Amino acid sequence: MRKALYKRGARLCLILLVIAVVLWPVVASLDDPRGAFFTFVLGPFNDMRHFGNVLEATIPLLFTGLAVVIMFKAGAFNLGAEGAFFLGGVVATAVLLKLPLAGPLLPVVAIVAGGVIGASVCVVPAWLKASVGASELVCSLMLNYAALFIGLYIVNYHLRDPNAGAMLSYRIPLDGKLPRILAGTRVHLGLVIGLLGCALGAVYLYKTRWGYESRLVGSNPLFARHVGVRTVLVGLIAPCVGGFIAAAGGAVEIEGMYSRFSWTDLPGLGWNGLVVAILANNNPAFVPVAAVFLAYLEVGGDLLAQNFAVPAEVVGVIKALIILFSTMSIAVGNPRIKQLLVRVMPGARKLNTEVEP
Amino acid sequence: MSTEALVQFLDVQKIYPNGTAALAGVSFSIRAGEIHAICGENGAGKSTLMKILFGLEQPSAGVLRIGGKEASLRSTRDAAMAGIGMVHQHFSLVPSLTVAENISLGFEPTVGGVFFNRRAAHAFAEDLSVRYRLQIDPRATAASLSIAMKQKAEILKALARNVRLLILDEPTAVLTPAEAGELFDHLRQLKAAGVTILFISHKLKEVRAIADHITVLRAGKVSGSAPLCSLADAEVTRLAMGKLVPSVSRHADRAIGAAALQVEAVSRAARRSASRITDITLAVAQGEIVGVAGVDGAGQEGLVEVLTGDAVPDKGRVLLGGEQIGGLPKARLRALGVSHLPADRYKTGGASALSLTENAMALARRSPRLSIGQYLKSKACEVLAREMIEAYDVRCTSPRQPLGSLSGGNAQKLIAAREFSVKPRLLIAEEPTRGIDVLAASTIHGRMVDLARSGTAVLLFTSDLDELLTLSDRIVVMHDGRIVAQFISSPDLTTEEIGRAMLGLETSHA
Repeated sequence: MRKALYKRGARLCLILLVIAVVLWPVVASLDDPRGAFFTFVLGPFNDMRHFGNVLEATIPLLFTGLAVVIMFKAGAFNLGAEGAFFLGGVVATAVLLKLPLAGPLLPVVAIVAGGVIGASVCVVPAWLKASVGASELVCSLMLNYAALFIGLYIVNYHLRDPNAGAMLSYRIPLDGKLPRILAGTRVHLGLVIGLLGCALGAVYLYKTRWGYESRLVGSNPLFARHVGVRTVLVGLIAPCVGGFIAAAGGAVEIEGMYSRFSWTDLPGLGWNGLVVAILANNNPAFVPVAAVFLAYLEVGGDLLAQNFAVPAEVVGVIKALIILFSTMSIAVGNPRIKQLLVRVMPGARKLNTEVEP
Repeated sequence: MSTEALVQFLDVQKIYPNGTAALAGVSFSIRAGEIHAICGENGAGKSTLMKILFGLEQPSAGVLRIGGKEASLRSTRDAAMAGIGMVHQHFSLVPSLTVAENISLGFEPTVGGVFFNRRAAHAFAEDLSVRYRLQIDPRATAASLSIAMKQKAEILKALARNVRLLILDEPTAVLTPAEAGELFDHLRQLKAAGVTILFISHKLKEVRAIADHITVLRAGKVSGSAPLCSLADAEVTRLAMGKLVPSVSRHADRAIGAAALQVEAVSRAARRSASRITDITLAVAQGEIVGVAGVDGAGQEGLVEVLTGDAVPDKGRVLLGGEQIGGLPKARLRALGVSHLPADRYKTGGASALSLTENAMALARRSPRLSIGQYLKSKACEVLAREMIEAYDVRCTSPRQPLGSLSGGNAQKLIAAREFSVKPRLLIAEEPTRGIDVLAASTIHGRMVDLARSGTAVLLFTSDLDELLTLSDRIVVMHDGRIVAQFISSPDLTTEEIGRAMLGLETSHA
């Protein structure tokens, strides 16, 4: 137990070191290097509005991160969370605009509908894998773009407000919005839903039989089959659950943060969910921590770009490098990530070190 | 035989970073020109000793002398320079390359420093094969070789660089008895050619057949090192175990009940020859242990696949307690009381990354003891694991450690505990004690006999004929996918008789 704690501490120190090293060359070239550095590192916490921004950006990552964890734990290397998130947002918008329903039930119905339909982006590749043995990884990756264009079609031809100028949907009714929960910020009820989801996710994986069976499949599918787990079924359930969570996240994001649907491209929050899952070491209990960390980088970077003569692209590179290095430091110690690497590039098998008897 | 020491270990210690003392001060010497056997239980330190000698591990303390001079082997390259070659238990040939290419891997002859000189490689391999009288076709690809041939190629590969000391790690684990005999002939020839051989095994019979000198390790220390002729078998066992191993036998008490498993004229035409079975008829009664013998790939795998739900038979019926079970899915078979101790303990027997508890609870996960509906009772699961660990004497530090951190014997004991503890109606045990030490094997044998006594029908597939003879009430022999002979177990039945049937030379029904 204690050893694990040390390990986590060491990881955190490593990540902080990475931030310092990556940030230094950029910041040092500015007139006020100290100020720039502290804006990036402490800016997100120095007033309520910025802290609110961190929490706002955390919300979608809670959903997509959890979704990826649930699927990866079951050995489903499914990258459909991105498309599911997007499609979930589109379907929720459609429900909010078209369903003749008022009152607090409306956003709930929209989340469920978005979740169910959006989940298809994760479920279809899993079903193709189960029925014809197609690669879940490749199918889900490609299906994201199908989801994007289906979504754009729906928005453009059925939800678009012709008077809005850009490609925007009609205004979402006020009944369909999630209530704000923190004064002076845009933090909405989605935060509570997301945290609850992570807690439920942890209970599901570690305290229920289905969760246990899915971890058996994820850890050694042959063994799971050997002890009578219906592996094909588990391989379908995990993407259903994961896809639903990611798509519900998209719906929550629209209801909480937008007055009109305005995405014209994949928002990238599903990909960030992968990063969150890796940073959280595939444990739902750590998903909130990892999501806050990623959101914090996002906000810190924005503040740096707004207040100093640093181009947004450079800030993007900084964020990317920090994510890359901190993810790597964790991925190297994670057998599941190695397994994924081995599948994608057989040469990575060398990474697998045997346990000393 | 010269009496000069080729390798000397002087108080060599190895303590791993996690605090495990694998070697706690080992001193002994290997004389030039002898066949030196190293015996000991799993986890006694044999592997660590070999790794140190082959440059894969460095000792924490102590001195290693090679040819009288102090040696520091920092890598396998250093070991090769010192004239030490090793044949690992798991082969490391590149399947798509030819034997000659495999042998010269790492020091390939070239034309002009760039291009691979295949002709020279072939000549070199041929030369080597003639010099050590190990016949092999250097042009054959490694993938096309039989297991015994692959091992020959491995030995040649290890010998390629002027080797003085050849280390063989459990070389017979993958061989049939006949192949093992052939290997021993080769080793004697190598000895005659001046190669010193270090032979690691825990099969005393083999050691007896081939070694000149034996060193027994126990718990990281040398518990005895002497010329083999001066030690009796019981003495060696006592040195290795620290106590006498209880012997398990089956012949005395049999209470055989009604037919449990009936296999009626089952055939399956599979693409893999090892999975092909033809017209198998077989019955196992409650409380009966039926042993199945056969050379590797004689159809045992095919029979196991049909019985455990991995394959659907083309023809015939499989009945358990009168109920048709052929072609049912695994989950259904498990529910009907079919247990299966698989041959590969890490591939299908368990999940090495999951904890002992998570491995132990896998079969009982639906029982009211471990779960209420979907909710799993974590405490009860851990208690179950602790019970198994205690009852089967699994050496571990905590039920929360991963299965992969246990030694092979202990992992196998836990897996057996899981499969046996559900009180199955039918147990299919494949190679239940392969590669594990005598004490662990004895525990598993004892529990298996207990299980039979309580009415389980046991079908035992093993390549260890002694195990087969000790445990079985009846023995059937498979050859080429068919059952070619049956024997009622009796103290007069010998391994030779079974061995003849395995080769398909005899189709009698004793």
